[in-house]
Amino acid sequence: MTSTLIQVSHFSYRYNQESEVALKNVHLEVAAGEFVAMIGANGSGKSTLCNALVGLIPNYFVGYSEGRITVDGKDTASVSVGELSQTIGLVFQNPFNQLSYTADTVAEELAYGLGNRGVPRDEMFSKIKKIAELMQIDELLDKNPLELSGGQVQRVALASAIILEPKILVLDECTTQLDPIGSEQIMDIIKKLNESGITIVMVDHDMERVAELADKVYVLQHGSIVLGGTPEEVFCSPQLAEFSVSPPDYYEITKNVIQPGYREKDFALTESQAIALLQEVLYEDRNQEPQA
Amino acid sequence: METIDNSIAVLVRNINPITKLLIVFCLGIGCLIYPLPFVGYGILCLLVILGILIGQGKQVLKLIAGFGIPVTLMLLFIQGLYSPKNITMIADFGFAQMGLEGTMYALKISSTLLIFLAAFYLMLQTTKNSETVAALTQSGLNTKIGYLILASLNVVPQMQRKVKVIQEAQESRGVEISGSFIQRAKAFLPLIGPVVLSSLTDAQERGMTLEIRGFGINGDKPTSYIKVETTSLDIVLRIIAICFLISSLIPRLL
Ligand SMILES: Nc1ncnc2c1ncn2[C@@H]1O[C@H](COP(=O)(O)OP(=O)(O)O)[C@@H](O)[C@H]1O
Ligand SMILES: [Mg+2]
Repeated sequence: MTSTLIQVSHFSYRYNQESEVALKNVHLEVAAGEFVAMIGANGSGKSTLCNALVGLIPNYFVGYSEGRITVDGKDTASVSVGELSQTIGLVFQNPFNQLSYTADTVAEELAYGLGNRGVPRDEMFSKIKKIAELMQIDELLDKNPLELSGGQVQRVALASAIILEPKILVLDECTTQLDPIGSEQIMDIIKKLNESGITIVMVDHDMERVAELADKVYVLQHGSIVLGGTPEEVFCSPQLAEFSVSPPDYYEITKNVIQPGYREKDFALTESQAIALLQEVLYEDRNQEPQA
Repeated sequence: METIDNSIAVLVRNINPITKLLIVFCLGIGCLIYPLPFVGYGILCLLVILGILIGQGKQVLKLIAGFGIPVTLMLLFIQGLYSPKNITMIADFGFAQMGLEGTMYALKISSTLLIFLAAFYLMLQTTKNSETVAALTQSGLNTKIGYLILASLNVVPQMQRKVKVIQEAQESRGVEISGSFIQRAKAFLPLIGPVVLSSLTDAQERGMTLEIRGFGINGDKPTSYIKVETTSLDIVLRIIAICFLISSLIPRLL
């Protein structure tokens, strides 16, 4: 049986000095263990929703909210961000602002959140060692975090969140500073974390990745959730273009190559689906019209 | 912090930051209390020697020459020539007479300043900021104040880095950033806006980071990755520092 871990109930939010609302009547549920992706144009409210999930809204930002969000049974408005952080972690876009600015080395940086929780010093070492191996930052442990490259700091920022072992990890465009291979590696790690039971809420602009990884996709526009469902439901929706979102390239390719109705499922969303589908179709064609 | 790995440098680096702070304090205040300036200059020589031993000699001398000599000359000029305390005249320059009392006073103030400066510099070069703050919080400093100290210490390199990034961007767009002072000032002024504005966003996001890492959730009992030890060397050094401070009082009491 799946249990609801995040419940967003008719939540609206307006930042203090803004005239427009940033979130409008957002309503969604996230089940334990689910991998949820949030997509939408710039300014559609994805980051605002992320900040609301971890309690920064309404506890840290100044503004006006309506509705209610509960995370693991706790109302985000009535517990502190720090307390909520034991359950839900956030990694946001600019990695340089995710350093504590109190650490002289990456190892100290990783230990920072643990220290705040009062984790004993000797437990820190094993946790740091484990996470450094996972995130491939072993060689950086003795370096000054302020002297790392953007991609390296991004790994450190992710590691600092994962080391706290949250039940839910919210990732707001957290691989923008990484090169394609680095970003791929991070996604593999996130996928493994999800398989090990951690619930993931991810904001990403890479639709191939979203289609590959997500169980559920939500599309935001002007602060509202305008579309939601499985990747297939969302990416096959005829309305998608209205929301400034395009489906994965594999979808366009397979849709254009395969005649509509030629097969029961005439499209693919992920690389592996596309390969399988195209191979199948090409193989059939060859059988039907053997070349002389 | 530069890392020079001779055994003395390692030894100095491993001294507890609290001990170092105490030494800086006792040396500076002791010299101020001690009636004659020569103790101060003697200690300054010792600090320079220590600097040389741990591979920081050049920097310490530069600091003394660059800051100490002008300040000493200025103090000598003002106090030596014009101090109302001057009774015993030791030299006559025609336009003014140089008095012994003012000269001594000027030398003492300058030696005290230089000792604070040199000792503090050596401390910074041999201590990680985070160790200093960890030591202070472990001995009871409020964690929020500790954070403030550390984060402020780290803001400067961060700002420098940002200015450099923007400068490089400007340079690649053809803005001249070297050349005469006016030219450089012209190139620098437009930087202030972006640097300040992005610093505001930075401040907001860094605040978010602290919140989501649980800053302060465990009250005043966070644990630290850094362990600051108090060795027997620390105890000995602390006793010596305090004895020095007390001994500086003796000539006054006699
Ligand atoms: N800190 C903030 N203060 C005021 N307005 C904000 C802030 N952050 C975002 N906004 C506004 O909220 C709206 C949604 O922004 P955001 O959630 O960042 O969108 P996204 O992450 O989808 O690009 C935008 O109109 C943006 O200008
Ligand atoms: Mg965003």
